[in-house]
Amino acid sequence: MNSLPSFSHRRGLASISSGLALFLLLVSIVSLKMTINTIPRQKIPGASVIYLPSGKYLKYITFGFPSLAADLIYLWAIQYYSTYTIVDRYQYLEHIFSVIAELDPRYQDPYEVGALIAIYEARNLELGLKILDLGLAKNPDQWIFPFQAGHYAQMAKDFDLARRYYEKTMKIPGAPDIAKRLYAAASFKVMDLETAWETWQEIYATATDPRVKEIASRHLYRVKAAMDIKILEDAIARFKQRFGRYPQELAELVKFRLLSSLPRDLDGDDYLYNPEKGEVGPPKIWWKK
Amino acid sequence: MSTVLRITNLYKTFKMGFIPKKREVLKGISFSVEAGEIFGYLGPNGAGKTTTLKCVLGLIFPDQGLVEIFGHPHLSLRAKERVGYLPEHPYFYDYLTAAEFLDFCAGLFHLKKAIKEEKIPRLLRLVGLERAANLQLRKFSRGMLQRIGLAQALINDPELVFLDEPLGGLDPIGRKELRDVILQLKDAGKTIFLCSHILQDIEMICDRVAILVGGRVLSEGKLGDLISEKILYTEVTLSGLAFSDLTGLAQPVSFHRDRIMVKVFDEEKVDRLVDLVHDKKGRIHSLVPRTETLEDLFVEMVKQG
Amino acid sequence: MKIKAIALNTFKEAIRDRVLYLLFFFAAVAVIFSRLLAILTVGDRVKIIKDVGLASINLFGVLMAVLIGTGLVYKEIDKKTIYALISKPIHRHEFLVGKFFGLVLTLFVMTTLMSLIFLIIVFLHTFKIELNLLLAILFIFIELVLLTAVAILFSCFSTPILSSLFSLSFYLIGHFSWGFQTLLQRTKSAALRLFIQALSIVLPDLESFNFKTEVVHGLTVLPRFYLFSALYGIVYTLFILMLAILIFKKRDFV
Repeated sequence: MNSLPSFSHRRGLASISSGLALFLLLVSIVSLKMTINTIPRQKIPGASVIYLPSGKYLKYITFGFPSLAADLIYLWAIQYYSTYTIVDRYQYLEHIFSVIAELDPRYQDPYEVGALIAIYEARNLELGLKILDLGLAKNPDQWIFPFQAGHYAQMAKDFDLARRYYEKTMKIPGAPDIAKRLYAAASFKVMDLETAWETWQEIYATATDPRVKEIASRHLYRVKAAMDIKILEDAIARFKQRFGRYPQELAELVKFRLLSSLPRDLDGDDYLYNPEKGEVGPPKIWWKK
Repeated sequence: MSTVLRITNLYKTFKMGFIPKKREVLKGISFSVEAGEIFGYLGPNGAGKTTTLKCVLGLIFPDQGLVEIFGHPHLSLRAKERVGYLPEHPYFYDYLTAAEFLDFCAGLFHLKKAIKEEKIPRLLRLVGLERAANLQLRKFSRGMLQRIGLAQALINDPELVFLDEPLGGLDPIGRKELRDVILQLKDAGKTIFLCSHILQDIEMICDRVAILVGGRVLSEGKLGDLISEKILYTEVTLSGLAFSDLTGLAQPVSFHRDRIMVKVFDEEKVDRLVDLVHDKKGRIHSLVPRTETLEDLFVEMVKQG
Repeated sequence: MKIKAIALNTFKEAIRDRVLYLLFFFAAVAVIFSRLLAILTVGDRVKIIKDVGLASINLFGVLMAVLIGTGLVYKEIDKKTIYALISKPIHRHEFLVGKFFGLVLTLFVMTTLMSLIFLIIVFLHTFKIELNLLLAILFIFIELVLLTAVAILFSCFSTPILSSLFSLSFYLIGHFSWGFQTLLQRTKSAALRLFIQALSIVLPDLESFNFKTEVVHGLTVLPRFYLFSALYGIVYTLFILMLAILIFKKRDFV
């Protein structure tokens, strides 16, 4: 009874066939996977946790890892907002970023980026400013928030708002000098000439950089010119009212006692006058001086 | 007489541990079991009895060698259908009842429903568990587990039954009952393969034995052939004499208070001893002739191995 | 069928495991809790219920498959219940396949129960039954089946604790596909890119069975995708089972 050879023969055959079966299965797996890879799939990056509970409760759920949770949500949010196929992704913009703020109020990037997304992509200035306000409220020592807010307001041509933001910025220690200059410029834009004049004076006086002094002096020229022109045009209007015509020359204003003296520009030169239209202009262009 | 189980040149080495240390357990085992006999497989602990059994049953794969059951390769289904196995320290599924478990085992043999329904109660009665038929196995005592183990070993009415240390852990009544069952099975024409190290029971029921020491079969054959019926020596317990009185006659063994026990190696010397004790007014308390027992043979084999 | 006998026996054994009921309890709690969670949120409430529900079924299903699967074969070997079985006329692979189907059956029952609770809660909110949810659950089940095969594979040669760790690692790696994409974007070396791509194809991509997001958002999935994903799952499961059988076949039960 010599069953030994046939037994090992059978065993050998069995190993070969099982090895073959394994190989075939592996090949099938690879080909299936490659096929699957080719099929497009609509994706929303990350989990669809758009419906986050409000930050207060979320803190408890994060079991002692609120700042980590903030990071993760922020990372997810960035992916989410860069996915342009999700059309209504701005619906919860405020909510998401307020959640991140609640979880980790000192984490600055989300405020800035949130505002960015709100203003540039969602085109919602109010929301962007709101986010930055929140940032400032939670981080009163960070000048960047009102600073950026001022820029955004200025871009939207709301100079009064911009001015107020720049004022806030100025008050925070460590704020860059340019904030003050922006404040002054914005004040000018809203025609608050007194504040502009005073501020530019301060800037001129305290400037260490000669270039800044240069800038300040130009602006001072401009502000004075604006102030002076206002006074002149005011007087011209009164002249017209009284005499029914525009004065022939500015000196007439003094002659007829509408002004005590003629204001001169910062360099001491006279202002230019167009008697036909009754308009006054500065002799020099302030930024070309 | 046909050979029911034939083992030829079985070798098994285990590689254990992270840095494989080799342990040679079976070093070339060969023996055979004939139909209708009760075969005892003996050896000290660690000799390789259970390993041999596991090789036969397909639980372990030998490195070398051949095992044939009823002439078939041992791993074939045809062989396994005619075999039953009671493991040492049997343990089965806790959550099944005795009857459910036997039903499950029967399912593995494709037994028809009618046969199952008749067989299971009969088996339970055979092993004395008919009252525990609906008791969960988790509640079984060790002895009860042993019994249900035997029942599952017999579920397919096997012609060859392997019992691994079946008598350990049973009380004397249990052991007697089991011995009776084994003899019953032999009467029914089955072949029993019994692994054990309890020699008294082996001596009582086995027809042939093989003694395994250190992974080798040192002795194989009929009990009657291996153990002569000669009287080896006589043990005498007596009082009234000292060991020195008996030099040349008897070998001292032990003493207790005023009694001494000696071995006498010649029947003729025994008579002389009795006379001597009588002369010296001593007393003989017991006189026991000792024939060679399996234990003696066993100890001898172990010493040799 | 012998496989059926072993499968049913395994089912009976697994269904009695207390771990199963503990996990089921937590799953039910989570699904019901999602209703509370919905009250706290800003936005669509039903979405959170659906999402938490599906996630619970998925998570607890995975835990069930892994925790019970990794003990299945190991227990039999450790407690030696396997001795009496293997000596009987069954092929070793029949034993393993039976165990696999037993656990799959158990998971099927548990998943169905969890899904029932989930669907009832969703129904209470929306008053309609969405078939899409069932589809997502079906694929969760496919993922569980694959994990079961993995757990059994490890159970053939490793202790339950190690097997659980390995199986859970398998699960985590399986969901790492986004990581591969990111890695691919950032690696410049061509050889490394090839390696990473090869790895991403051979390693299991469990994300292919993840339709929770699509279903909750009502996004469309191409039927082709469902088909190939299901095939992928089945073939991968076969592969793992085959490996398990090969390892189990050669094993000495010392």
